[in-house]
Amino acid sequence: MLVTKVGLDGHDRGAKVVSFLLRQAGMEVIYLGMYQTPEGIIKAAIEEDVDVIGVSYLSGEHLIFTPKIVKEMKRNKLDDVLLIAGGTFPPEDVPTMKEMGIDEVFIAGSLTESIVQYIRERARGKRDK
Amino acid sequence: MGRISKPGKEDTEVNWDDYLKAYYEKPQSANSWSGYDLKEIYTPKDRSESNYEEDIADAGTYPFTRGIHKNMFRGRYWTKREVIGLGSPADTHERVKYLVEHGGSGVNTIADVTYEMGLDADHPWAANEVGLTGVNITSIADMETLTRDIPLDKVSWSLITASTAASVTMAQYVAAAENAGFDLAKLRGSIQNDPIHFRYCGFRPACPLDLSIKLGSDVMEFCTERMPQWYYTTVNMYDLREQGITAAQEVAFGFGIAMCYVDELIRRGLDIDAFAPRFTFYVSCHIDLFEEVAKIRAARRMWARLMKEKYEAKDPRSMQFRFAVHTAGCSLVPQQPLNNIVRVSYEALAAVLAGVQSLHCCSYDEPMCLPTERAHLQALRTQQILAYETGVTNVADPLGGSYYVESLTDKIEEESLKIMKQVEELGGMGEAIRTEWLDRQLEAEAINRQKELDKREKLIVGVNIFTAEPEKTTPFGVQRVSEKSAAQQVQDVKELKRKRNVDRLKEAIKRLRDDAAEGKNVIPAMVEATKANGTTGELLGTVRQVFGYSYDPMEVVESPF
Repeated sequence: MLVTKVGLDGHDRGAKVVSFLLRQAGMEVIYLGMYQTPEGIIKAAIEEDVDVIGVSYLSGEHLIFTPKIVKEMKRNKLDDVLLIAGGTFPPEDVPTMKEMGIDEVFIAGSLTESIVQYIRERARGKRDK
Repeated sequence: MGRISKPGKEDTEVNWDDYLKAYYEKPQSANSWSGYDLKEIYTPKDRSESNYEEDIADAGTYPFTRGIHKNMFRGRYWTKREVIGLGSPADTHERVKYLVEHGGSGVNTIADVTYEMGLDADHPWAANEVGLTGVNITSIADMETLTRDIPLDKVSWSLITASTAASVTMAQYVAAAENAGFDLAKLRGSIQNDPIHFRYCGFRPACPLDLSIKLGSDVMEFCTERMPQWYYTTVNMYDLREQGITAAQEVAFGFGIAMCYVDELIRRGLDIDAFAPRFTFYVSCHIDLFEEVAKIRAARRMWARLMKEKYEAKDPRSMQFRFAVHTAGCSLVPQQPLNNIVRVSYEALAAVLAGVQSLHCCSYDEPMCLPTERAHLQALRTQQILAYETGVTNVADPLGGSYYVESLTDKIEEESLKIMKQVEELGGMGEAIRTEWLDRQLEAEAINRQKELDKREKLIVGVNIFTAEPEKTTPFGVQRVSEKSAAQQVQDVKELKRKRNVDRLKEAIKRLRDDAAEGKNVIPAMVEATKANGTTGELLGTVRQVFGYSYDPMEVVESPF
């Protein structure tokens, strides 16, 4: 799995904590760090051959970067990779983000178990299709 | 309404076994938020009574444990200041006026991520994000829009730029004030100006350690000489606390960073009593009310002693720990968001019981979006209810003398001093930062806090107890940033760059470069360059290059000079 920030937003506490706890749950997690571009994220996802990409948002940039990431995924035919997002955004935007192509969102206050369970159930399934 | 059955519908099913469990339920833990194992009751035996004058003393008397003023709020309320920053300088200006109209007693504007990174609005990385989390000020024109028609010699304005870009913010504010005819000596307010801590908030490219100390201290020195009523830093312990650290770590790490600046100003030959009275802090008030009050009381005592004993200050004002409180954003959750109003109220109460000088209450929609006008007003009203209705302003340090609070104050002081000693043994905070010791502390604690939630060792209503279906909407709507006004600002900046007098600007940039290279204070040259329509990225980039860093923190734009 790849966990990443995108753009200038530097609130990376959540991304780092989630990366650590998913690793403890037995997953192989690469944290790409801050100041990533949609192109860079997808390039890394291809190089590392990941099943899941997790994007962490906090600064209101979710509706700006999500379509750009999805577009890059489509361009590179990463249809079998699960795209999830976490962080801080209004509930009103969740359906919009899903329409844009995010498989699932985990807002602030989500427990680790819910993320682990979702990834376990869905990641392989999407790839096997 | 309650659980009244409606015609044609089944009555709500109540599990009476669960009810009985709830009836007999007791708290699962007796630990404080920071993990202190608390006693059932505190008595006179929990602290020695003999040292009231030495350790506690009346408010207004060294070591100021009980407050920095003798009469505290009877003399003056705290400044009711809500952080504002959204969209363009004009959008932010509008919200500033709205809150002042409704009783806000201080102005408080915050930089967005692009400004904090030191990028102009027309920077390729900025284009997507201008105005999303605050306000971008690229040029003097932006600062003049932000401050237009506001009497800068009357209002108290808190400028929240924390990174090395704070040096430019200070120059822009000074330039705009001078252009409008204000006397610098009469400007009142503060600037956050704590670049050292800001490397831990995702702005490391803009906050190399040497440049952080250099530019942070330049602002402090400039204000000490030219702006006697200005508070030139609010060392930001709050942002560190938001990472998940404990109350004692917050004080210890904050003081460690503060000492980096104090040491530098002394190295430059300033007398401690010439500058220390204008030193201030930005403190968190988290959800554990007594622990937060005790933390602030401990911080006041520790700062007084540090200034007197280590730095040999003589002026009592140098020994007074002055602070603003930001209620803990990280304690708020998007689940059942109106509960956040209650959380913020307790946190604000802690701040006031602890004798706060200036307060920002978070808005209930903080875990969803920037504050709407409605949410901003609610946060201000929370402050006003505390001030005008509850009576908590009547008596200085009302919790002083409580066996529990005094004991907890001692405990946090002891713990903080222990951590400060550890930092000293590592070679000081500068060294603890260089070796990434501080990174490791922050990261470990962040993980601990999430584990506590996962294991339900700490409870948050709506997160791991009393959960409900996820919200589909935000109460009273969502604040959006107008794409149009952000795009307009980018256009304005491009146009300014086309139209300005390039010769005059080049001359001003040359002086800035020379001053930086000669080790002079760069703020006067930044003020001149700002008046010559130099921009945030240009001013900061010029100084960065002198110190051997890339002109552009994002390494995309080349210097045009």
